[in-house]
Amino acid sequence: MPCERKPMRYGHSEGHTEVCFDDTGRYIVTCGNDGDVRIWESLDDDDPKFITVGEKAYSLALKKGKLVTASSNNTVQIHTFPDGEPDGILTRFTTNATHVAFNSSGSRVAAGSSDFMVKVVEVSDSSQQKTLRGHEAPVLSVSFDSTDEFLASASCDGSVIVWNIEEQTPAISWPLLQKTSDVSNAKSLCRLAFQPAAGKLLAVPVETRVHLYERRSWEHVGTLSDELLTQPINVVAWSPCGRFLAAGSVGGSLAVWDASNKLCLERQKHEKGFTVCSLAWHPSGSQIAYTDTEGCLGLLDGLGTASSSGTGSTKAPAAKPAKDYDDLFDEDDGGPMDEGLADGNSAKEAAAGEDEDEDDFLIPSTGRVRNRGAILDDDVSLDGGSLKLGRDDDDDDAGSSVAPAAAPPAPLRPVYDGPEPTPPQKAFQPGSTPAHLTHRFMVWNSVGIVRGYNDEQDNAVDVEFHDTAVHHAMHLTNSLGHTMADLSQEAVLLACPGTDELASKLQCLHFSSWDTNKDWMVDLPPGEDAKALCLGQGWAAVATSSLLLRLFSVGGVQREVFSVPGPVVCMAGHGEQLLVVYHRATGFGGDQALGVQLLQLGGRKRQLITGEALPLSPRSYLSWLGFTAEGTPCYVDSDGLVRMLNRSLGNTWTPVCNTRETCKSKSDHYWVVGVHENPQQLRCIPCKGSRYPPTLPRPAVAILPFKLPLCQTSTEKGQMEEQYWRSVLFHSHHGFLSSSGYEIDEAARAQSEKEQQELLMKMFALSCKLEREFRCVELAELMPQNVVALAIRYASRSRRMNLAQRLGEIALEKASQLQEDEPWGPEEEEAGVPSARRTSGYGRAEPAADPRRSREEEEEDGEEEDGGELESEETTDATKRSNPFAKEGGSPVTPTPIGKAGRSNPFKVAAPGKPAPASGHLRVANILDSMTSSRKSAPLGGSAATAGKGPVLKPLAPRAKTKAQSTLLQISSNKTANKKTPESAEPAAEPQQQPDAAAPALPPPAENGENKRPKTGFQLWLEENRKIIMADNPDLDETDVIKEAMGRFRTLSADERRSWTERAKGQTGDAADVRKRKRADGGAEDETAESDSESSSRKKKALDASSKLSAFAFNKN
Amino acid sequence: MDPSEVEFLAEKEFVKIIPNFSLDKIYLIGGDLGPFNPGLPVDVPVWLALNLKQRQKCRILPPEWMDVEKLEAMRELERREEAFAPAPSPYYMELTKLLLNHASDNIPKADEIRTLVKDIWDTRIAKLRLSADSFIRQQEAHAQLDNLTLMEINTIRQFLLDSLNCMYKLRSNRQPASAKSRLADY
Repeated sequence: MPCERKPMRYGHSEGHTEVCFDDTGRYIVTCGNDGDVRIWESLDDDDPKFITVGEKAYSLALKKGKLVTASSNNTVQIHTFPDGEPDGILTRFTTNATHVAFNSSGSRVAAGSSDFMVKVVEVSDSSQQKTLRGHEAPVLSVSFDSTDEFLASASCDGSVIVWNIEEQTPAISWPLLQKTSDVSNAKSLCRLAFQPAAGKLLAVPVETRVHLYERRSWEHVGTLSDELLTQPINVVAWSPCGRFLAAGSVGGSLAVWDASNKLCLERQKHEKGFTVCSLAWHPSGSQIAYTDTEGCLGLLDGLGTASSSGTGSTKAPAAKPAKDYDDLFDEDDGGPMDEGLADGNSAKEAAAGEDEDEDDFLIPSTGRVRNRGAILDDDVSLDGGSLKLGRDDDDDDAGSSVAPAAAPPAPLRPVYDGPEPTPPQKAFQPGSTPAHLTHRFMVWNSVGIVRGYNDEQDNAVDVEFHDTAVHHAMHLTNSLGHTMADLSQEAVLLACPGTDELASKLQCLHFSSWDTNKDWMVDLPPGEDAKALCLGQGWAAVATSSLLLRLFSVGGVQREVFSVPGPVVCMAGHGEQLLVVYHRATGFGGDQALGVQLLQLGGRKRQLITGEALPLSPRSYLSWLGFTAEGTPCYVDSDGLVRMLNRSLGNTWTPVCNTRETCKSKSDHYWVVGVHENPQQLRCIPCKGSRYPPTLPRPAVAILPFKLPLCQTSTEKGQMEEQYWRSVLFHSHHGFLSSSGYEIDEAARAQSEKEQQELLMKMFALSCKLEREFRCVELAELMPQNVVALAIRYASRSRRMNLAQRLGEIALEKASQLQEDEPWGPEEEEAGVPSARRTSGYGRAEPAADPRRSREEEEEDGEEEDGGELESEETTDATKRSNPFAKEGGSPVTPTPIGKAGRSNPFKVAAPGKPAPASGHLRVANILDSMTSSRKSAPLGGSAATAGKGPVLKPLAPRAKTKAQSTLLQISSNKTANKKTPESAEPAAEPQQQPDAAAPALPPPAENGENKRPKTGFQLWLEENRKIIMADNPDLDETDVIKEAMGRFRTLSADERRSWTERAKGQTGDAADVRKRKRADGGAEDETAESDSESSSRKKKALDASSKLSAFAFNKN
Repeated sequence: MDPSEVEFLAEKEFVKIIPNFSLDKIYLIGGDLGPFNPGLPVDVPVWLALNLKQRQKCRILPPEWMDVEKLEAMRELERREEAFAPAPSPYYMELTKLLLNHASDNIPKADEIRTLVKDIWDTRIAKLRLSADSFIRQQEAHAQLDNLTLMEINTIRQFLLDSLNCMYKLRSNRQPASAKSRLADY
């Protein structure tokens, strides 16, 4: 059956089109995406008549002078044919109709719609409608059978249903097709067709075949297929005679079968391979007109032989509708030309069109839509995409690591099941939104906002300051195409990547400069691109693609240059600190492997964190990096976890907030713009359904609270613990600031200490209530000494004598440590985690110590109900206490304390600076204290151990007496009363007398203090004898040596020892200033005492103290 | 009470602003305000917000209800309900006027909001007139009017009270008159 394929001609704008013949076969009628119905006299008709039926026409059917079209205004309308006069609206849907078809007599029209309904309407009376409900997705096509009894329809829900029209019920339903959500997504239009004349068969295109079903029995009686048809068949049409079936497919194949013998008579290929979306037989059966999704019209002629055998023209109509429907749908695929028209109208087009619009405009400006996509995909994808673009300079590494994501190293290793390398995240500026947006934030930080605009009208940068007092807002034209920016109180730093001709540039607007040249610009060397930049106080830093970090002064002087270990991800500056995060290695399984460096660029240049790994949540990437307003490094990962540097715990990172916890929906995020430690505020912008905010409407900052991820924070205990540790963490910056020489807010610090102490006390009370005494003791160890005193009182009042006693020991230790640690920067002690912080402030801020100490004392006084009285009492107690221990100095238990004494030596120099004479003896006392305590506590186990380690505590006068007393009491009971006992007992009994008591008590400690700070007799002795000891016991370590030495020293005769102490005294005396002399005097006294009866007297003193204290305790009760 | 007085009262309502200056807490008789941190939202009374705005010291964040979608929903509710629906804010009219007049640049879709609020206002006033009408017509002694704002009450108070007064006089005149006439008959 040879036929002639006429050349295609342009019919409509691209998109879905439909075609049919009129009843006589004189005209070819087409409709298309442009909303016109064209009436062609022949294929060569250069001036076809046209009828505009709407903004788009989805389908048409023509019979008996009635032209029925489905247009984009959701109606099915009639026009007269060929005049094209509107003849009313046949029916309406809630969305556009997808296919219309006449029955064989032309009395009824069936229409299927995207609103899942099929309607059958009388043409003469449109009020007579039958609605067929049952599809669960947009209807693809409809077809009447020849007797009007049935109607077949196909739908996107995958079903083909044959309806009994009268009953409006499905006669049968087959799940034949693939499910899709919309006509535009359907692979095939599935334009099914009933056989016209005989009406025995229903042809349904299913994938690349056509299924034939027998009417009534609805049995599958045959399948038509052809090897040429490799893609889904879109449309089938019966020849008017009902013998031949033509099919058009996606990809432009056309085939004609003889239905009776299922032979393929004709195969044709669309000349350009466009998808055929409509077919129509000429009423004579000699021609087939077809249209494609590009809006072209074609004709197959010369099917005469086949069709001549066919019957008359009656069959044409059936074919036509079928074709029409096809046209409708394909419009979706194309149609950019028509988008303008399309806007408000057809749902389909609108959907397609708007999507594109959004892509073009909305997204770039707001970033919303794209965000959403990214979120859904997965976090990494966001960066993954851009990485590929951004990291080209990293050539091979980057390339290879990126490539696997898209196409895993299949060529190299066909099967690789191991972990996939993660595409390394791209460099970014903290507080910026992605660079591909036309309107974006280049920086949002605590100083202000830098916005970048890059659209047709304008390429500009807006700088705006939160505080207009810093500087007025600026508007710069961005002729260089800056993509990075940072903002500080002094300057705006901008940088652009290099292009082929232009080098990467760094521009700084130094608005705080006092001369008239407010800006400078630097070209980076060719081939080197700025990747990240930041501003600090007086300096600017740029990380470049050649893994260099360049420092500039804010005025433009080039400073240090150094290499970073990997491609920089992000940098942040604050004051003199520079924080750099870079790729340490390739991450696997979605994780990033980032390293972090923290440098101090100020007067003392050094590296505080040397390239350690930056902890991130699993499968997340870094999303913000910066400093708190107080200067603590801080960062946020894409899981919304905020981590802050804990300087007091060896520069570890502590999660302080999980922003995702407060998000209402999964796609909501918080975009962090700043962190403040005091008050504790996480400043961020809530973004609904995206990761970052649009520039308009202007987002508002919200404040989130911090919360450490401690367990059981719903319980009172957990809550208080969280509060306590949070308070500790968020006030540790005081220590850092003062140690680096900044002013600190004393009031805030005092406040925070008070808060911490209160929390500790509360926790203590809670544990007491719960009968957890061991826990109480643990808590007490966290307390500064004055609070321990309170705790003791609480314990003794609640009649927990055992607890009180143990607390007493702790108080003693603390007192001793206090004194010992005094030489060190007291500021550390105040921070509350003394032991950990000891190293950092080592000896630096000493001058500041005294005022602070005294202040603190005052504060404590205020806190205490008993006020000064109690305090003085305590001091006296402490001094007393120290005496006994001083004597014990020779006892064998001393190891640790001596170690400490040794340590304190370096500070001898500093000692004179200390005004408080008391501290001197206190210090001695602590050594001894700790000795005793360790001795005592040995049986007690846990507390003993802690005692030995002895955290540094506040420099306050020891408060803990009460407990001390009780413990001491025990000891004293064993010991014989001394001359001092009565003396000390008196003061204890009567607080007023304490000062007196203190006087005698004081001297001995003073002496000790002197010994120690200068050197004790023992130390002198040790120095001389160390070698001997070492020789005797070569395998001893330091503490053992000291132990041994003590033992030996003790075995010396009293005279010998005295002589040693005297020597020691003599030494100090030389160097002594007034204060020292004072101490020395005391020491002399003590010495005498010591010489008289060393160990015993010590014990006695202990007794004294304890008895005093016990008396005091008794009074209290 | 005239409208300006009502407006004065409305100025005590709190509104969020984003200051562009830094200031410690300020202590006023009516309460403490601040502290003001540049870039951080803070609650201040409308009078202060407007003052700062006029001096270009802040941006005003529109109150939560001043949002096109919410107002549309409210308008629908207002139209549907027979009685008065709860007003978006007890001073919605005054606040809208104040904020839109002085800070329309800080309020997205200011024009739509103005129209919507006006619609709501009109609907409510129409209801109010209607109920006043039926109140008088049926000679009721009392009527319950929930959810009326001060401004709305004030728009009708003067007129309603005066006219009720008037009618009362007329009525009471008539009765005594009839009594008189009765007297006269005697």
